[in-house]
Amino acid sequence: MANHNTPVIQTENLSKVYRAGKRDILALSNLTLSVRQGEIFGYLGPNGAGKTTTIRLMLDLIRPTSGSATILGLDARRDSVELHRRVGFLPGELSLWKSLTGQQVIEYVARLRGGVDWKYVQELTERLQFDPTLRVRSYSSGNRRKLGLLLALMNKAELLILDEPTNGLDPLMQQIFNDLMREVRAEGRTVFLSSHILSEVQSICDRVGILRGGRLQAVETVAALRHADFRWVTLHLREAANPHLLAELPGVTDLTVDGSILKLRLRGDFNPLLQALSGHYVVDIKTEEASLEEIFLSYYGNGSNAHKEGEPVKEMA
Amino acid sequence: MAGVTFVHTVRRNWRQILYWGIGIGLLGMYVAIIVQDADILKQYAELAKSFPPALLQMFGMNDVATLATPEGFISFGFYGYTLLVLAVYAVMAGMSVTANEEDDGILDVVLALPIPRWRVVIERFFAYALIAILIVVVAFGGLWVGILSSPLEINTTRMMEGSINMIPSFLLMIAFTMFVGAVARRKATALAAAAIFIVGSYFINFLGASASGSLADTLQAVSFFSYYNSEDVLLNGLNIGNMVLLLGVTAALVVGTVWSFNRRDVGV
Repeated sequence: MANHNTPVIQTENLSKVYRAGKRDILALSNLTLSVRQGEIFGYLGPNGAGKTTTIRLMLDLIRPTSGSATILGLDARRDSVELHRRVGFLPGELSLWKSLTGQQVIEYVARLRGGVDWKYVQELTERLQFDPTLRVRSYSSGNRRKLGLLLALMNKAELLILDEPTNGLDPLMQQIFNDLMREVRAEGRTVFLSSHILSEVQSICDRVGILRGGRLQAVETVAALRHADFRWVTLHLREAANPHLLAELPGVTDLTVDGSILKLRLRGDFNPLLQALSGHYVVDIKTEEASLEEIFLSYYGNGSNAHKEGEPVKEMA
Repeated sequence: MAGVTFVHTVRRNWRQILYWGIGIGLLGMYVAIIVQDADILKQYAELAKSFPPALLQMFGMNDVATLATPEGFISFGFYGYTLLVLAVYAVMAGMSVTANEEDDGILDVVLALPIPRWRVVIERFFAYALIAILIVVVAFGGLWVGILSSPLEINTTRMMEGSINMIPSFLLMIAFTMFVGAVARRKATALAAAAIFIVGSYFINFLGASASGSLADTLQAVSFFSYYNSEDVLLNGLNIGNMVLLLGVTAALVVGTVWSFNRRDVGV
């Protein structure tokens, strides 16, 4: 059974500064983060926030400027080989040997890992609808992603570290990926996945760490993040609308009216909005998910409530 | 697991043994076949006397008189510049140890597997070393077929020694490229450094040999081509001291690669 209080990932003031010519670039600043066993932890942040840097530090591909990371009770730096035996990894930009077939790549990785359950590999191949007989160079980006997922999952690792795992996957495959992750969680294994897409994280994660500019801003439950979530709604009515029609409605803000077109920001359920519109002929409704940046600003204001360096990270879980 | 990367590297590159070995072997066979008449060799030697010494030294020929012997002719026509041809493969192999995959991002996948960095370097180096040795063996096979079809008596043992003599320099070129690939991180920088090392060594060697007392002559000691000295090997046999020196430098470069690669960020 999963012990949800055991930290599988524990970082202490983990920092990374890259040197570019004469300039120092702070990629990650004093990251102190704890991921528990048996949870799916989403690591959310815009491009360049430091997600990949964190993952590369955890896997000892790069070395920290300061701080430390303990993964599965092992020091990420000193015990990296033993750690890699127990971790499945999918890089954000997956490159593989183009001249090899998918099967040859799987066999090479399996030989290096040892103890791979080939029945499970076969099952994964079928579920991901992946053809391993083709050469890597002929795979589409989606198929390469499937191969990467297969390589990460094949040894039933205690911890999966996945960098933007659904990049390039079609919606059907994303659903299969979500099912696989839930199965991993049900087995008491842990998933650490990075993403810049809020909805992706919301659909499978238990908790979410929000990273911005190399600093961890907060660690939230997905439920708390949902509370902050909103969407942009554009309504096209047949007749010109009364500007006061929706202005007082709970959950509606930033309403603009342009003749018969209303644009608004909606937090919460759709029903109050639809009820307010009963009596009006609605030609079209368009909804648009809020960007991560918008959610972030909505939740934290202009960063004024965000975590400051040196302060303990806000944890609501 | 021990040996997996070695086997994987050999399996991915075994065709190179055929392509390079047969290609260079055919060249050797051609050079040996055209040695049909001892009188013609004497005429070549007479003709060569009119060439500028530096031109002959470009092909590893220090003494024109040796051109009159079949071994000397083969040294001039085959061993003198085959090492330069093999340098192309050596650079390709050296770059493939870490630099190419680091540039492509493949190394992220490899180094996230349960294999220490030093083992990646060592197993790949030994795999490419094996391939390099087999290229030389296959190439010697071609030369040997040519020797068999020549009416002249050619010292096969000396020819074999000439081929064995190529191996330390060949491995040194692979090791140097691998080293700069691991240190420089950037593929283009590593390529440029390897090219400067090989072409620079070659020019220092022949310029030094053709201009005694010059700076190039003084610098000759740092050129690995001066320890290769194919002409001397074909006439007098292997120089074990030179071979040990070249293999020693190769080993030092392998150790340097492991040290450098172990302590730095990858893929940055």
